[in-house]
Amino acid sequence: MKGFAYVIAQTPESAVELVRNQGRFIAGGIDLLGELKEHIAEPRLLVNVKMLPGTQEVTPAADKWTIGASVTLAALAAHAELRRMFPGLAEAAGEVGSPQMRNVATVGGNLAQHSRCWYYRHRDIRCLKKGGATCYARAGENKYHSLFSGATCISPAVSNLAIVLTALGASVVVQRGAKPATLTMAQLYESAWENPRAHHSLKPADLILRVEIPVAAGGRSAYLQVAEKSDFDWALVSCAAAARVDGRTLRGVRVVLGSVAPIPWQVDEANAFLEGKELTGEVAATAADLILRDAEPLAHNAYKVPLAHALVRRTLAKLMA
Amino acid sequence: MPWPKETKYLGKPTPRLDGPAKVSGRAKYTTDVAPAGMLYGAILRSKWPAARIRSLNLEKARTAPGIKAAIPVREGEFVARYYGEELAAVAGVSRQAVLDALRLIEVDATPLPFTVNELDAIQPDAPRVVSERPNLGAAETQTTGDVDAAFAASAAVVEGTFATQVEIHHPLEPHGDIVAPEGDEYTAWCSTQGVFEARNDLANCLGVPQNKVRVLCEHMGGGFGSKIENWTNRVLCARLARAAGAPVKLILTRFEQALSVGNRPSSFQKLKLAASAAGKLTAFEMVMFGTPGHAAGAGDMGGGVTFLPAPYIYPAPNARVKKSKLAVNAGPATWMRAPGHPVASFGMESILDELAVKLGMDPVEIRLKNDPHEIRRREYRIGAEKFGWKDIYRKPGASPGPIKVGVGCAGAGWMSGGEGTQAEVQVNPDGTVEVRCGTQDLGTGSRTVVAVVAAEMLGLDPAEITVRVGDTRLPPSGLSGGSATTASVAPAIYDACEKTLAELKKLSGFEDPRGARWREACGKIGATPLVVTGKWREGLSTGGAGGVQFAGVEVDTDTGFVKVRKILCVQDCGLVVNKLTCESQLNGGIIMGIGYALYEQRIMDAQSGVVLNPNFETYKLPGPADTPDIEIILLDMPERGVIGVGEPATVPTAAAIANAVANALGVRVTSLPITPDKVLAALGKLPKAAGQPAEGRMLDEAFMRVALAPVIPSAPPSGVRRRKAYA
Repeated sequence: MKGFAYVIAQTPESAVELVRNQGRFIAGGIDLLGELKEHIAEPRLLVNVKMLPGTQEVTPAADKWTIGASVTLAALAAHAELRRMFPGLAEAAGEVGSPQMRNVATVGGNLAQHSRCWYYRHRDIRCLKKGGATCYARAGENKYHSLFSGATCISPAVSNLAIVLTALGASVVVQRGAKPATLTMAQLYESAWENPRAHHSLKPADLILRVEIPVAAGGRSAYLQVAEKSDFDWALVSCAAAARVDGRTLRGVRVVLGSVAPIPWQVDEANAFLEGKELTGEVAATAADLILRDAEPLAHNAYKVPLAHALVRRTLAKLMA
Repeated sequence: MPWPKETKYLGKPTPRLDGPAKVSGRAKYTTDVAPAGMLYGAILRSKWPAARIRSLNLEKARTAPGIKAAIPVREGEFVARYYGEELAAVAGVSRQAVLDALRLIEVDATPLPFTVNELDAIQPDAPRVVSERPNLGAAETQTTGDVDAAFAASAAVVEGTFATQVEIHHPLEPHGDIVAPEGDEYTAWCSTQGVFEARNDLANCLGVPQNKVRVLCEHMGGGFGSKIENWTNRVLCARLARAAGAPVKLILTRFEQALSVGNRPSSFQKLKLAASAAGKLTAFEMVMFGTPGHAAGAGDMGGGVTFLPAPYIYPAPNARVKKSKLAVNAGPATWMRAPGHPVASFGMESILDELAVKLGMDPVEIRLKNDPHEIRRREYRIGAEKFGWKDIYRKPGASPGPIKVGVGCAGAGWMSGGEGTQAEVQVNPDGTVEVRCGTQDLGTGSRTVVAVVAAEMLGLDPAEITVRVGDTRLPPSGLSGGSATTASVAPAIYDACEKTLAELKKLSGFEDPRGARWREACGKIGATPLVVTGKWREGLSTGGAGGVQFAGVEVDTDTGFVKVRKILCVQDCGLVVNKLTCESQLNGGIIMGIGYALYEQRIMDAQSGVVLNPNFETYKLPGPADTPDIEIILLDMPERGVIGVGEPATVPTAAAIANAVANALGVRVTSLPITPDKVLAALGKLPKAAGQPAEGRMLDEAFMRVALAPVIPSAPPSGVRRRKAYA
């Protein structure tokens, strides 16, 4: 790790201003410390944003819930009212890492986390994402990589919260320069699809302040993941679904897959297909087919196709349960 | 054997004596020791999987702030053969100072072509790991009977190819040492499985007499075979201490742990097995190879290749075995808990189950019919009864629904044995006792074993006895490997205590100084404590532990996820010394076996030559949520004497789980670890993908090369001096 200076920011404006010159934000530090130790990032300044006013609360309201960026994943998973309102979100938060990690990891950090690709994270490999010439994973060990990709980097989006918040139609409020800006979840990640060097669409000095989740009457959500281990492991594939359930009919469905693309993966035709349908095994399977239609499996990740298919079916079933 | 029939402590549960110190943080592990003026050491490692190192310029590092010594691993040009190989080391006043200094070392190196994966390295045109010889070493063969005729005449023949992964050594406590010079003497705190071996190695590399080096190891967080060899990091630590004239602490990081301090070699096993219609084995054939890393051919590190016993525990009258080892540009193999056995067990127990299926036989029945080990047959019967095998065993794939259940079983053998330990009992005039033995407690409970034996013999409470271990100033004991510690130590304690009682009887005039008159008897010693020495002797310990395990699993056929629900272990270890630490050993062995079965695997990148998963994020170890209900049945047989049990329990776990998975699915995953991708592939659920290697063809070619490899006569491997227990 390279030496750095450290400040605790008092306002979002000053935090952004301080980071602008070769700094990094730090809240829980779970993602950043790994990069520092491996010399993947060598910031001269760390700006602690965990104490920023207004970032530590979960605020329910009739039309939308607001979740501060510094709320820990443990707090999110343990929030009883939130679990009733957005069960998929609480479940997704509870699956991240270990209890020790969830105690310090924050909502903002989870959303803004960098690639977990083992080539990217290796101290002695200069891959495409780090400015090198090659995506090693393409011709290499790509068991954990994407089925879909827009650019040459195939590192998948692995933020559990990103997957479920995309399904929930959430938006993210970001301090960008002097004022806040609101991004849809799609906007938050679209750069990672186009630009192999991007982890998300945030500029280095963009600071996530809060997440806003719209409340829909009769809204439901569900989240499922499968990892290699029972606990404390990254999802091989994750799936989140959200919809309003009108009698037995699905309305406003969003089904999203994680760990299969550089962005939270959803397919409009699949969502449209489910609109107004009653869920049957066949309907769920057709939706899964649509979501996975353009999958381009690599040498070692073809298993993600049947796995994702099963997760889509099971997540939709869970949504209705 | 003369062990007491009625016991107060032997075979009963005694909590670890050092438990309170460990859970409260008072126990001092190597990394907790901090002699005055201590410096920190760190190692510069090769960033190339293969390179000619022309020169190392250490000047900038040596003169960096806080740096007290900087040394090359060797003088002159040399070839580095794997990513992570040691090149140089520095010592300085802080961890940060030495890490910064490492980045100032200039390495003039010419990268060389390299090969890190077995199926690449075995190609005739692959880059040579050692330029003077091909990557595939000469093969060892053994043939018994007329194998071809036996296969031709057999009622059932099955064939299969099985593969096991490289498993990295990851004791919770990483490798590390502190070496402190003091005048012409050295004191070293080493995390080691043998304090005396470490002392001899240090004396050798420092060029000082053995009686000028003292090694201490009071507490350890595991070794599992990886802390036997005198790895380069210890040599560098000692040389840094000498160069700096100050104590140097050099503890490896988890990252380094994944590179250069040993692993379990991989294997590729092509097996053929035949039986009569009645299920009696008639013929066995094996062609196998595996990699012990860059050192193949140079020595025989790891034993996982040539030590692989075949056919494993179930003999066939006609057998042909050909095995070879393959060099790759990767870190070295070493001894790993039951070297060779889990590897061999996975192949043999898998093919045996295939044979049972073909014959329409029950897997337990075919084992009872072919296992010559009487105790293990008994264990199969006990285990099957307890497990409810007859009620729950179904034909493979017969379990309904997407989440299928399955059961499997497998057996283990281990030679264990013990030897050559001395011990000392000091009885003080106030009746207190100190027992001293220069063994080391790897975390297995050896210290408590010493107390239990002494307490039983002297009629005291274990808590009343002070035990000293882990110091070369104590009476010598051998290294802790081959599950030999308890069988080496317990007889020496027995002997010392027996002699102590005889002395006390003489001094006190009491017929039996134990019990109510103990203090009174001790009072007659006089002011000078009584010190009595004993040593290991025949007739108190033996070898040949047998064990069996039954596994119950659930496999999700939609996701490929395997959940182990139950492991039943029936284990023989002769006389049970301490029930608690014995069961703890078995639990640990089983959990390690679950890691081997389902999670652990070193991943090498063919393009860059690095280990891609040098951390616990992607090198996956079983955690509490992955640990099933483990039930242990100990066959306590005092008449057999003490038998070590560290290794046998990890032998059959992976094979039993693999058999249970195959039983659930009706198809077999033939390589470890059994991960969801492989389960889904075995079920035929994978779509076609771009760039998939033609693994089948590559394997066929690889086995053909081994079949054609020149043969060397079987010879005991080097390193056998240290590994007598495996013979």
